[in-house]
Formats: sequence, structure tokens, C-alpha cells
Amino acid sequence: MTLPQAPLQNILDKHPHDESSLIMLLQDVQEAYRYLPPEILVEIAKTLNVPKAKVFGVATFYKAFSMEPRGETEIKVCCGTACHVRGSTLIMDEFKRTLGVEEGGTTEDGKFTLEAVNCVGTCAMAPVIVVKDVYHGHMTVNKLGKLLKSLNPKKAKTTGAKAS
Amino acid sequence: MKNSKLTSPEKLARLKGKLLKQRQKQRPIITVCAGTACVACGCVPLTAAFREALKENGLEDKIEIRTTGCHGFCERGPLVVLQPEGIFYQQVKPADAKSIIEQTIQNGELVEKLLYRDPQTKQVLTHEKDIPFYSKQMRLIFGMNGHMDPTSIHDYIALGGYAALARSFLEMQPEDIIEEVKKSGLRGRGGGGFLTGKKWATCRKAPGEPKYIICNADEGDPGAFMDRSLLEGNPHAVVEGMIIGAYAIGSHDGYVYVRHEYPLAVKNLNIAIEAAREFGLLGENIFSSGFDFDIKVSRGGGAFVCGESTALMASLEGKIGEPRAKYIHTVTSGLWGKPSTLNNVETWANVPMIIEKGADEYAKVGTEGSKGTKVFALTGKVNNTGLVEVPMGMTLREIVFDIGGGIIENRPFKAVQTGGPSGGCLPESALDMPVDFDTLTEIGSMMGSGGLIVMDNLTCMVDLAKYFIHFLQEESCGKCTPCREGLRQLHHMLEKVTRGEGGVEILDDIERLCMVMENASLCALGSSAPNPVMSTLKYFRNEYLAHLEEQRCPAGVCKDLITYSVIEENCTGCVVCKRACPVDAIEGEKKEVHKINSDICTRCGICLAVCKFDAIFVE
Amino acid sequence: MQLSIDGKSVTAQTGEYILQVAQRNGIEIPALCHHPAVEPSGACRLCMVEITHADWGGWKGLVTACLYPVQEGLIVSTANEKVRKVRAGVLDLLLARCPESELIQNLSRQYGIEKTSFIPRPEPDLCILCGLCVRICEKIGASAISTIGRGIDKIVSVPYETEENYACIGCLACATICPTGEITFTQDEQTRSIWGRNFELVYCEDCGIAIGTPEQLKHYSERSGLDMSYFTKCDRCRNREAAARFARITF
Repeated sequence: MTLPQAPLQNILDKHPHDESSLIMLLQDVQEAYRYLPPEILVEIAKTLNVPKAKVFGVATFYKAFSMEPRGETEIKVCCGTACHVRGSTLIMDEFKRTLGVEEGGTTEDGKFTLEAVNCVGTCAMAPVIVVKDVYHGHMTVNKLGKLLKSLNPKKAKTTGAKAS
Repeated sequence: MKNSKLTSPEKLARLKGKLLKQRQKQRPIITVCAGTACVACGCVPLTAAFREALKENGLEDKIEIRTTGCHGFCERGPLVVLQPEGIFYQQVKPADAKSIIEQTIQNGELVEKLLYRDPQTKQVLTHEKDIPFYSKQMRLIFGMNGHMDPTSIHDYIALGGYAALARSFLEMQPEDIIEEVKKSGLRGRGGGGFLTGKKWATCRKAPGEPKYIICNADEGDPGAFMDRSLLEGNPHAVVEGMIIGAYAIGSHDGYVYVRHEYPLAVKNLNIAIEAAREFGLLGENIFSSGFDFDIKVSRGGGAFVCGESTALMASLEGKIGEPRAKYIHTVTSGLWGKPSTLNNVETWANVPMIIEKGADEYAKVGTEGSKGTKVFALTGKVNNTGLVEVPMGMTLREIVFDIGGGIIENRPFKAVQTGGPSGGCLPESALDMPVDFDTLTEIGSMMGSGGLIVMDNLTCMVDLAKYFIHFLQEESCGKCTPCREGLRQLHHMLEKVTRGEGGVEILDDIERLCMVMENASLCALGSSAPNPVMSTLKYFRNEYLAHLEEQRCPAGVCKDLITYSVIEENCTGCVVCKRACPVDAIEGEKKEVHKINSDICTRCGICLAVCKFDAIFVE
Repeated sequence: MQLSIDGKSVTAQTGEYILQVAQRNGIEIPALCHHPAVEPSGACRLCMVEITHADWGGWKGLVTACLYPVQEGLIVSTANEKVRKVRAGVLDLLLARCPESELIQNLSRQYGIEKTSFIPRPEPDLCILCGLCVRICEKIGASAISTIGRGIDKIVSVPYETEENYACIGCLACATICPTGEITFTQDEQTRSIWGRNFELVYCEDCGIAIGTPEQLKHYSERSGLDMSYFTKCDRCRNREAAARFARITF
């Protein structure tokens, strides 16, 4: 697989070339490619003059980064305390079952990645999920079914959808 | 392009005067809350609907629409407040925009169904200020949010913004500012509660150049979101605080480290910084004083431990966010080994107010050891969730019951968790304690960043302790032994308790391990990790004992100790639960009473969630 | 300056750490992540000691000796009951992590622990994550290894595990410094292998013993500014040659 180089060049041009830009650069690469391709990390290491091992260490330390391609749609289930006491476990379990993936996993067709996140800061609407950067509050199993249906009309077969 | 630089405090004052005149002409205003929670509830289509409706009625030039930052009452979003009257509409749908304009704006009639009805007294309330959620608060930091568009520096200036900065430069020497902040008694709002003025003084005196100013916006405590709302709703207050701090300490480089999970906060902050630069309030030669200061925004990579000062600084340097020992403080040797002052968002936002009002006036609010107000994120099983700002020293009972409106469905209160994963769970007996830094620490919890998560009888305290330990285990950086290995073992032990295994003796093992972690961990993440366990053991030991001695989870949460069954009288045989059950553990024909086969049942809780007739019973 | 360690008055210089001073005075404090060649890190938490001071109003607390800077009048206890209890707890945890490590077993035994009271890690290796290898590689090697991941899943590794990305020069500093023997290497007549990579060897012009890998010698040459021709002999032969030269000049 060859990766498009254009986004990388734009990203590299946006930041000063020193070690303190590393995390910002990785953020932008993650956004553009939906993961951190190894060949791009090598390129970044060279440009910033940071050892490759260090780049790899940073890339695997922070949760915002993924070494595997993430799905087209990221589903983030908030597992903060407020969401936990208002039943986020149930929401998470239902997603796992419906999508057939574990936490952090991506569906085989590459459509969805299921992610547990620690508090998105909208605790007043707990439990909360974030899909394609849109926040959905007061989640229930029923709402979840409808939401999945709207995202993937062909395949979604969820408990909630079944029940409604 | 017109030069908008404010080269002197006088120019700022003149601009303010001009803006105020304009504001007076433009009344009335429809303010729509556009914090993340209200965006999630649909305030964007709502704003569009308002614009449409104004156009239809030919009112675009007579009435202004202002999208503002978070008003705090997130439970009831989207929120709309009509100014100047302060008429408060809640849970407003785009379809309501037309009736608000036609009835209220044009005819002065209220739209009854959108008004707030007090769940306790059933009284219908018209004005924002009369609603108990607001009337008991003291919104000194958050008050501005509802009155301005966070992306407009003009709005901020019109409301008196940057006047404190002008005063600092015009009337005060750096030492005076530090003295004033010291005298105000301001303590760090991020968790530690360290005296801000003292920190600044040490940093100013510390040898070494350059010096750095850092704003910690890596609000990682689950259940706290006041910093997010401040950055989204009033970013200029934070920027202004930082400039004043920089001037006082003698720093020219500032950083804001923001969680990457907060995109709107990053956006609004960047807009604010750009505007401040354009107006000459950031950059070179601020107010023609010869003083330079600028701010860079750095998005965090997603690591709870980066809320810890040394880990945050490592992360700013582009490194792995591992903390280091703080025997030499960061005010002496911080970012790149240089003197650095780190304060959190809320602390910085307090600074302009102290300078503007004066320390004596500021210190009139609060308790002996904790001055000013504190913003709390009130969440969990409470009726009115949202952000509340109260004077230090208010009791937990007032916050939870008067402002929060009590527990959902009037269920019994069990505990309130304060201080995030490093904090503790407090029982009913602590409800009448005044909330301030010292009291909370005394009773085994901590202020932390100000999350208050309310729990009722359906929350299992062992499960909650396990939840926090699991959270911390995932967030531990892994550098030091007691935290990394200790959390792994502590999680094992708590899992055993939630399965009813291990006997009462396991509690001694837990306590022993907690002692080691508390004493030997490198940073506060590890050393305070035992708090959720120790505080629940202290106040809710009976729940642990119920799990261990009777193999029973009193709250009906721990899966290994509960069973699901159907309440025959309530079951209508609608087959919803049967169809929903992912493991086909429910039997029964249509219109007949169903039965749950507990051998197959995985206790996932779906049946309970989908049943519309309260016919599922957990024990 | 003067401070007291276990009741003994000792002399120290500003900028020194407790551990250094204690070691110099023959007071033993266990420490696994400490090595004089690299900066202290405070990761293993075994060198905890209790400190107090006459001016502190009775306050005392536990600190890591490897990182706590000495100060005039400091009173240090390296083995009181509290210190031993905490240290035993840390060792118990390390033993659960690395039940097969002889080093940890021996240390634990000194604190009365024969078997860990915790649940041993499934499929344990010998790595205690002291980080010495990463620090020494950064200091004298080529920064070829790093900690990967975080928390309980943290490991030490080379990036990507693909050979073209290896910066490793085969200098063996990591294997030499590793306190538990987790990092291993092999070497025969022709090749040296470490981190899954094979290196050629360069031999001493005079005596023929292996003196390093080509990558390693090139790295030293670049670092030191010395010409590659300097690195053609082993240290012993080079010293012998220098001594002979010296003898010629003098006599």
C-alpha cells in the first residue's frame, strides 16, 4: 500500500521542526490517515530529528493515537464516572454485541471502530456517546438501535432496533 | 485593514464605551446556549430556526441572536434566554422558534410549555434568576457566559473584559500583582489547592530564563467539565488571567495544554488568542509597555496522567507523559528545566476578578482557608445536572438538594463522590459539611477539580471503587512499581469482592496494599489511587461485607451476585424483552407471562432497559 | 554540609542525592533502577527512606533516596520499620511481576518474602521496567529502544520490529546494564545478535579479539570526533602500544 504524501507535507509545513511539535504532528497525522502509518512515523522522526524509538514510544503512549487503521466511523462510548453510574456499561455491552467487536476494535468491513473514552465532559447528559464528533446524550438501548440503523441501514440488527 | 491595536489602556476604555452604546441600541437579544451539551441537544438547528423566523417576521435588524457559552443547566438544554427581561425557556426545539418570536417577542406573551416547572413545588418560573438551580448560586466566574458570544472579543470588552489587564499595566508593579493575588487567598482550582500567589512569588524569584506560564486544561477527572465550559464560553477570561500572571512573574511564553477530547474549547480558545493578538493584547509591546507575551495552544494526546504537572510538561516537550519526582518544584525547574508556573483554567479565570475588584473584596466570599467561589460539575443521580458555581463553604446538602433538586425519582441518597479518581465517596453524614479544600481533605476526600457525582441506592460502592481502580489502571503511565503493579493487583482483589470471593480477610490485604501505594508511588496518581477504595471501605464497609459474607450485592449491580426475574403481575407478555435478550434466556408466548432462565441469563440488563412495564426484577 | 543517616553523621556536597552519600559511607540501600552512569529516575521505588529535620516541626515522610537532594541537617532513616514495610510491599509486587527473577527472589527473601502474596503475572518475563536500558541507550548508544505502550502493558522494545527501522548499533550497553538479565544477546566467532538483529564483528588488528560491531565503532567515532583508524585495535593492545611509545620517549 502506498500512502498519499500530500497530507503529510501539509502537516509537516504547519509545525516548527523540533521535538515539542511531535504530539501535534501525530494528532494531525492521526486525523488525516485515521492511524499512524509506520512509514510516516519514520518520516516524522527524520524531519524532527528525534530517534525513531522515541517517536514510537510517544505514539503508543497516548490514547489519541492508533497504530492500526481505525474505522470510517468512530463510536466513542463515554465511560466517565457520571456515565458509569447512569448505565454506560449497558450501552457499551450492547455496542460490542451489535458490532461484534471488543473495546478498541474495528469491524471487519472497516466501517466502525468502537472506543471507550474516559469522560467527554458532557456528564450532565449521561450516558453519552460520540459518533462522528456528534454528541448523543441520555443514551438508551432503544436509542442506540435507531442510531446504528441510521448509520448503517443495511447491516444494523440490534436489540434496540429489534425491540422497537 | 483597519488597525485595531489597543496601544494603551485609554484606547481600551474608549472602545468599551463605544461598544456599550452599540449594545444598548440592539436590544432585545435572543441568547442561545451553545455549549457542547446544548449543541448535542440541537442548538445549532435551533439557532437557524430563529434566524429563519426573524427573517419571516422582518425582524433581522431589530433583534439580535447571540450564541453564548454554557449556562450550566445542561440537563434542560437547549436553553434560550430572552434579554433584557431574562425570560428563560428550556428544552427548546427548532419548531418552537416561531412561537417564541411571534408570541413573546412580538406580543409579550409567554410560551407556557417552554417555561421551567420546579419538580418539587410544581411552580412555573419565568426568569432565569428565580429558578432554584440558579438563585442559590453565586456566578462570579460563570456569570458572563450567558451574556456574550465567546468568539467575540467585543462582547468580552463591553462586559468589562481586559480592564483588569489595563489596571495591572497602568497602576501596578509585578510585585503588587503577586501581593494582591496572595492577599486574595486564591488557591489552585485544579486539585492541589496550593496558594496561587505563593507559587507566583517563588517562580518570579527563581533563577533562570526564560520563565514559562502554563494553563492546565487537561481536565481529565471523569465527571468534571467546568474547565471545558469556561474555555468554550469565556476563553478571554483565561487569556487575560494568563497575561496578568505573565506580567507578574516576568514570563514571555505561555502554553495552554488542552485535552484533545475538547474540540470546541480548542476552537474558541484559538479564536480568542487570535483576536487578542489582533487587538495588541498579546504579542509584542502590550499596551505600549515594552512587555511581550504570547500563548501557544497544545492539544494533549489523551492521557489522564498528563494532568499531573511534571507529566504535562514532559508532554509539552513532545515526550512520553511520565511524571518525575518533584523534590525540586516545577516553579524552580519545570518546562525544559526552567521556572514554570502552572495553574488550571478556573484558577486563571479567577485572576482578572481579583485584580479588578481588589483582593479584599474577593476574599469576602468563601471560608477562612478557601476564598472565592468554586465551580462544581453536579452529575449522577441528581435531578438538575449541570455546572454550579457556589461560594466556598456551602454545604453538600445545599448543593445536592437545593440546587441539584434532589435525587432522581426521589430515591434515597447514598453517597457523593468528590475529587475524581483521586477523591473519595462521602456518605449522608457528610452532607452538612461545608465544602472547602480543608474540610474535604479532613473527611477523607478532596476538592479535586470539582466533580460532584451523586449516587443513590442503585449504585454499588464496591463496583464504583472497582470502576475507579480500573480507570486508573488504564491511565497509569507504568513508570513506577507501586502504581503500575499495585493497581493491577488492587483491581484483581476488587473483582474478587464483586464476585463475593476472598472472605473478609481480603479487606486486610486491600488495606495493606493501599498503604504501600500511598507511600511509595512516584506521583499523585498512584499515591491517591487508594482514596476511592479507602473512603468506600471507611463509610460503606457494610456493602463490602454483604458481598463477602452473604454473597449479596445490595444495590443489585454486581453481575455475579444478582439474578433477574419477571414480576408476574406486571408482565403483559409483550415479548419486547424476549426479542431483545441477546442469549435467548427469556421464554414465554405472546400475551403470556414470561420467564427468565437464570442458567442462560448473562445479567446484561437489556431486558430491564427495554421493559416498559417495570416487570423485571433484580435481586 | 552535614547530615545524619541512620544516626551516623556524614558529609555531603550540595547537589548530591541521599543514595550517593549513603553508598559512599557504606550504608546499603537497595535500588534497582539506579546506576551511576545514567540520571536517576525513581521508577522502582525500592530505595524509599524516611526523612525528617529538626526544623520541620516533627514532620517526616518517605522519599526515594536516589532523587532526594541532600540538605544541611537532614535526618535519614534507611531501614526503620515503616521503611521496611513499604519496601517489602514493593518487593512483593515486583515478585508478582517477575516470580522467576533470581535477583527479586533474593531481595524479597531479605524482607521475609518467600512467595508473593499477590497474583503472579501470567507468562512472566524478567523485565521489571526499571528503564536502565532505555536510559543507557540514550546516553551512550543510539536511542534505539524505548518504552512502548503504557501502564500494565508497558514493555521495552525497538520500534516496529522491522529491521530497516532499527537504530541499534549492537553495543550491548542495554544487556550489560540490565539488572535481571532480561535483555540477552548471543555472540560467536562471526556474529553478534541482539534485539533480533545480527551484526558483523570487527577484530583487533593486533590480537584478533572482537572489539565491536562496525555500526558501534562508527557511532563512537562520530560521537567522539576521533578518526575511524583509532578504532582498529582493542583497548588492551592500544594501551600496550601507548606504553611502549611512552617507554621509548622516557628512556
